[in-house]
Amino acid sequence: MNRSWRRRWLTVLVVSAALLLGVSGCAGGSARPTSWTGLTIAGERLYAADLEQVQVLNASDSDPVWSFPRDPQEDKRGVFYVTPAVDEGIVVVASQVPAGGFFSQPKNVVWALDRDMGGELWRFDGAAGQYVEGGGLGGGLFVIGNSDGKIYALDAETGALRWVFETGHRVWATPLIVADTVYVGSLDRHFYALNLSDGEMRWDFHAEGAFAGTPALRDGTLYIGSFDDRLYALDASTGAERWRFAGENWFWGSPAVHGDVVYAVDVNGSVYAVDAETGEQIWHRALEEPVRAGPALSEDGSQLFVGSQDGTLHALDSADGFVVWSRESEGQVLSTPAVNGSVVYEAVVFGPQRIRALHVDNGRDIWAYPPVTEE
Amino acid sequence: MFNFIAYPIANLMLLFYTFLGESTVLALAVLTLLINLLTLPLTLSQQRSAHKMQEFQPELEKLQKKYAKDKERLAQEQMKLYKEAGINPMGGCLPLLIQMPIWFGLIGAIRYAIPSTPLEMFQFSPHIYKWLPGVVGIVPLQSTFLGMDLGQPPSPAQWWSYSLPILVFVTSWLQQKLLTPPTTGDTQSQAAMMSQQMQIMMPLMFMFFTLQYATGLSIYFVLSSVIRIAQYYLVQRDHGGGKAGVKGQSG
Repeated sequence: MNRSWRRRWLTVLVVSAALLLGVSGCAGGSARPTSWTGLTIAGERLYAADLEQVQVLNASDSDPVWSFPRDPQEDKRGVFYVTPAVDEGIVVVASQVPAGGFFSQPKNVVWALDRDMGGELWRFDGAAGQYVEGGGLGGGLFVIGNSDGKIYALDAETGALRWVFETGHRVWATPLIVADTVYVGSLDRHFYALNLSDGEMRWDFHAEGAFAGTPALRDGTLYIGSFDDRLYALDASTGAERWRFAGENWFWGSPAVHGDVVYAVDVNGSVYAVDAETGEQIWHRALEEPVRAGPALSEDGSQLFVGSQDGTLHALDSADGFVVWSRESEGQVLSTPAVNGSVVYEAVVFGPQRIRALHVDNGRDIWAYPPVTEE
Repeated sequence: MFNFIAYPIANLMLLFYTFLGESTVLALAVLTLLINLLTLPLTLSQQRSAHKMQEFQPELEKLQKKYAKDKERLAQEQMKLYKEAGINPMGGCLPLLIQMPIWFGLIGAIRYAIPSTPLEMFQFSPHIYKWLPGVVGIVPLQSTFLGMDLGQPPSPAQWWSYSLPILVFVTSWLQQKLLTPPTTGDTQSQAAMMSQQMQIMMPLMFMFFTLQYATGLSIYFVLSSVIRIAQYYLVQRDHGGGKAGVKGQSG
C-alpha cells in the first residue's frame, strides 16, 4: 500500500468522521432547542420558560419582574422548556442541563420557585429523561410526566417524591388534576386515570395511537386527541368511550371546550369544531400549515387562536372557523397561546422575539420580548 | 440534509414493525438485511477492486522502488498499470462514500421512528406514508429493548447499554480481521502497518459513533457486521476454503 493509498484512506476516515460528527451535532457550538417553550398567565403576570431562564414579566407592558437564574452565564441551570405551573406562592418549571462530557448525560431537573421573588424552594433531579410538557399542581402535589416513561408526584412544599407511576413509553403530556384524580396520557397509547393520593390506577383507555396532549374536561366528559388521528370523548369516571371523531392526522395539542363545542387542531393544521355531546363535526378549517399545539379560546369564547410551525398566529371566529386575522412572526409557534382579557400571548422558538403580545381583535402588536431594537 | 433518504427508510421501518409483531429490534434486523442486500453490488465491487489491487501490489512496489526519485513518472506508470489491469483506483473508496448517505439516512430514520425529542417526532408527522398498511398511530415505535432505550445513546443510568458499542467494536474488528488479506513479503512494510492500523481504526471509529447515537444504530452495525461475516463464510465455502484476498468494510 503506497502513500497515495494511505492518503486516500485517511481522507475517507477524516471525511466520514467529520460528516458523522456534524450529523450527530456533537461537534460543539450552542445546543439547539429540542422542544418548545411555554407560557402561563396568572394574575397580572406572565410566566415563561424561556430557554436559559424562567422569565416573569408584567403582562401589560413586559416589564421584567424576576428571572431565574438571574445571570444564566454565571449560574447555568439548563434549558427551560416546559410550561410553568403556577399556584399560590409557587412556580414549578423543569430544565435540561446538557451533558458536560463524553460519558455524561443530560440532567433533568424540576425547580420549585418562590412566586413573588423567584428564589429556589426545592429541586428534584430523580428522573432519567427529558421533561417535555409541564406538570400540574393540586392536592399539595406537583405531578409531571417524563421521557423515562414515568409519572412523578412530588410534595409541592418540599419536593419529596410521593409516588411514581410507570407507563410503557415516554410521557410527553401535561397531567390534568381534577379533585382527587390525575388524568394523563402516555406515548404507550394508553390514557390513564390515577388516584392523586397514591398513584394507583383507576382506569385506563387504550387507543391505536399515542397520547401527548392534556384532556379538556366538561360535564364529566374528557376530550383528548391521539396519534391515531382521532379525537375521543371519554367518561371521566369510568374511561368508557362516548364517541370518537376522525381527523386527517395526529391530534397532538390539547382540545379546548366552550359551551357545547369542542375545538381541536390536527398536526396538518386542520381546525375542527365538534359537537361535545355527539361528536358530529360543526365546521372545519384547513390552515394548511403544520400545527403542534392545541387552540386557545378568547375569554368570551368568540375567537380561537392557533399558532403554526410557520410562525403564524391565526385568530378564527369560533362560530364558523372564518379566519379573522393572521399575524406572522420570525420563528415557530409550537405551544398553545395564552389569553388574558384583550391580549393574546404567543411563545416563539427559533426567533429573535421569543414572546409576543397581540391584541385579540386585530393582531396588532402590543409588545415583544426581547424588545424589537431599531437598527 | 439526508431527509429524502431518512423518510423512506423510517417508513420502511414502520412497515416492518407492523408486520413483525411490533418488535423494533426485528424491524431493525430486517431493515439491516435489506440495506445489505441493496448495497451488495457495491460491497462486491469494492471487494473485487481491493482484491485486484492486492494482486498487483508486487508490481506497484516494484514501480515505487524504480521511480522513487521521480514522483511524476511514478504516478504516470501507476496509472498505466491500473489502466492495463482494468483497476479503478477509486474502486475501493467510492462504494464506501456512496454508502455514507444510506448511513445518514438510517441515523435520521431511527431518530424519526424512535424519537427522543418531540421536535423530531413533529417533523416526521407529515412524512408518514399513511397509505402503507397498519402505520397509522404506530409512531413512536416501542423504544425499550432489554431495558435499554433504543432512541437514546448509551448512558451511565443504563450502564449495560455500553455493551452494544463494545459489541460493535468486537464484530467489526472480527469482520476486518477475517476479510483483510495476509500481507505478503516484508511485514514491516508500509502496507502491512497500514493494514494493521485499519483493523483497529475502523472498529474504533464505529464504536465511537455508536456511543454518540441512538442505541438502535448499534444494532444496525452489529447485525451488519454479522451479515458480512456470514457472507464471508458462504463465499469461502463456495471457493473451497482459504482466506479471501479481499479487504472488508464495516457498516
